Amino acid sequence: MTQAPRRSFLKGALTAGVGAAAAGAAGYSLHGTPAAAAVVPAAGFLPPVPFHGEHQAGIAPASQNQTAVISFTATAEGRAELTDLFRALTSRARFLATGGTPPPVGISAPPSDSGTLGPTVVPDGLTVTVGVGSTLFDDRYGLAGQLPAKLYPMQPFPNDDLDQAQCGGDIVLQLSAGSTDTVMHALRDIARNTRGGMQANWRIDGFTSPARPAGTVPRNTFGFMDGISNPSPGEFDSLVWIQPGTRGEPSWTAGGSYFVVRLIRMLVEFWDRVDIGEQEDMIGRRRASGYPLSEMSIYADPQYDLDPDGTIIPQSAHMRLANPRTPQTADSRILRRAYNYDRGIDEVGNLDVGLVFTCFQQDVQRQFEAVQTRLINEPMVDYISPFGGGYFLALPGVQDSSDYYGRTLLE
Amino acid sequence: MLILTSVRSATSPHRTGPHRTALHRTAALAILVIAAGTLTACSNASAQPPANLISVSNGGCGSTWRVPHPGPYTFQIYNAAAEAGEVDLVNPATSGVYAEVEDLGPGTTAPMYLDMGSGQYAFRCLFDDYDPITGATETIPGHASGSPATLPVTTNDLLEPAREYHAYVQAGLTTLAAQTATLNKDVQAGNLAQARTDWLTAHLIYERLGAAYDAFGNFDQEIDGRPDGLAGGVNSRQWTGFYRLEYGLWHGQPVAELKPVATTLNADVEALLKSWPPTEIDLLLIGLRTHEILENALEFQLTGHDDYGSGTVLATVLANITGTRELLQVLNPLLAARYAQLPAVTTWLDRLQSLIQKYGYQNGRWSPVTSLSTPIRQEIDAACDQALVELAPIAAITEPRST
Repeated sequence: MTQAPRRSFLKGALTAGVGAAAAGAAGYSLHGTPAAAAVVPAAGFLPPVPFHGEHQAGIAPASQNQTAVISFTATAEGRAELTDLFRALTSRARFLATGGTPPPVGISAPPSDSGTLGPTVVPDGLTVTVGVGSTLFDDRYGLAGQLPAKLYPMQPFPNDDLDQAQCGGDIVLQLSAGSTDTVMHALRDIARNTRGGMQANWRIDGFTSPARPAGTVPRNTFGFMDGISNPSPGEFDSLVWIQPGTRGEPSWTAGGSYFVVRLIRMLVEFWDRVDIGEQEDMIGRRRASGYPLSEMSIYADPQYDLDPDGTIIPQSAHMRLANPRTPQTADSRILRRAYNYDRGIDEVGNLDVGLVFTCFQQDVQRQFEAVQTRLINEPMVDYISPFGGGYFLALPGVQDSSDYYGRTLLE
Repeated sequence: MLILTSVRSATSPHRTGPHRTALHRTAALAILVIAAGTLTACSNASAQPPANLISVSNGGCGSTWRVPHPGPYTFQIYNAAAEAGEVDLVNPATSGVYAEVEDLGPGTTAPMYLDMGSGQYAFRCLFDDYDPITGATETIPGHASGSPATLPVTTNDLLEPAREYHAYVQAGLTTLAAQTATLNKDVQAGNLAQARTDWLTAHLIYERLGAAYDAFGNFDQEIDGRPDGLAGGVNSRQWTGFYRLEYGLWHGQPVAELKPVATTLNADVEALLKSWPPTEIDLLLIGLRTHEILENALEFQLTGHDDYGSGTVLATVLANITGTRELLQVLNPLLAARYAQLPAVTTWLDRLQSLIQKYGYQNGRWSPVTSLSTPIRQEIDAACDQALVELAPIAAITEPRST
């Protein structure tokens, strides 16, 4: 895994930062130089999220403050270049997530780093989640035989209004961190070092609002708390991580997860003209407190069996349809990681805001599609318009300093 | 009016000439000089200088210094002189440069960061009107690798490339003048169909010259300018040149309206041709152009911005590739020993060229770039982007430096 890359677009990328945390925490050093003292994050910056592991680092933790989701078309020519692309991507992600000082170039080149995070790259909790779409498994790279069992292009649901220019992609990146500049710096660095290998198709930036009031759960642009009920880490093996062998998945997917991205416009002006009782009936929770309409705390499970006719929480409420909390629907639960987005205004002067809905699961059919199917024609559809996104497979984690994204797929 | 001439940069002992623009650099220096006063005041108050502080002036270039072991290291370079200078850390045996600090204002301190491997090091101080001074040689023992030293390119090194490039442009301008004369005749005769054909031939000759970012000074604005900054845009009467004529030829404008446009273009090319023989090429620009031509192509051609009706921007990019290759060829003797990634430049230029030839020219005509499918445009853009990444170091490597 240390041989020279075949194509030049990776050589710069493989020159990671010098010393500091890059050498220490990541367990390798550049040019054989000794590691300097570890980077101490400045006040206000998140500590590094360990990069190596069985699973990618950005899936299990709670959402960071800022995110960007970017879809790419692979432009690498052939399998060898594609492999080099994933190596380069790994090398950059490892450095960016670990932090350190970019390598000096003397008089031999422009600076190796944009400098937008200052002279030393701070990790700021950066995670880089890499997914692949079904189109990567066409005839270009000889990967057709490796196609995961449930990976296919996202099909429109009845109330969707998909813009194909904002759908799909061979490769998707989700970059999440504590601040916007960290996310932008990471994207710029990765793009610079993978120029010939992939070209961006679409991009959306998202943010997590602070919990208001403090100690509650962040809200979406409808003013409702979002992402309250998620599987616990103990359930990830049965709900989030792909288990090859049991469901016809190829062995290379072990440790991966189906990664669904849905870009959902929320028609907030319309929503604001709806009275509170109707809003709460559509969601199933109190807007102010986040409590289920039938309960007295945010995290309390609503007892639907005590309310079979939906007199308290209507049967058409979003939360009740999405997760009816029955034994039959327990295995359709998904790990939700939604972010708000704000893209300015539309043609009629309304705010273009909404949700970058991302979720992870073991089986996109059994989980996301089953949930979304139950939500078809829910009352809330009048106030939202899904317009983009895609189905991807988040690759297995990068295990150590010699591993790279997609190794089990490509070797 | 010979815009291209920059005597200072071609003859001064080390580069102080204009980078992208002379104004920019001058302004930066002024700010440094102002900052100098403040910093001097502060440093007077401090007691013992830190171990990594290297004091330089026009009379001395750092005293003895010691770096305890190989690895990343930051020097703080302090300019004790009354004028600005440049400080390089060099391999005294080869004059290869490990690191440099440019434009170090009097009384200011700037960091010099590098990865120090085993080997020999000395500071070299370059102050205007003084001979270069090389400080004491220090050795880091062992076998550790570090930042490589790059052999500086001197003014002398660039004279032959400049001569060759000058001759290339001279030949191109001669051909161009003949072609714009033909184009002018077509328009005056009212033969617009022929004019459209001859327009493309002439424009591509011009685009092969490597005209990017005002290579020909005001001539470039007159001959190949865009209407972007003009009030009225495409309707501005101040808009002249190839793109103005293209707009008229492909938007059904009457002959009477186009006659003066063609006449002016022809006259401007004649004037450029006449001005060229005594023009000195700014040596700094030769290296800069190697990536700037395609930077322009990416920004204005591959986006479709500069398609004023003919749909030939992809042909323009091919012409720009030819211009880039010419610069690479004249610089090749300098680059071969200094730039290990040079073969990658060729790889990606070849890929870009073959993609455009494959998709851009179909059934005897050029396809407007915006008519290509997204995946094809992405392939082309990716090749152009990567070519630019590979080209970018050449400007840094071929900056004229003194040794």
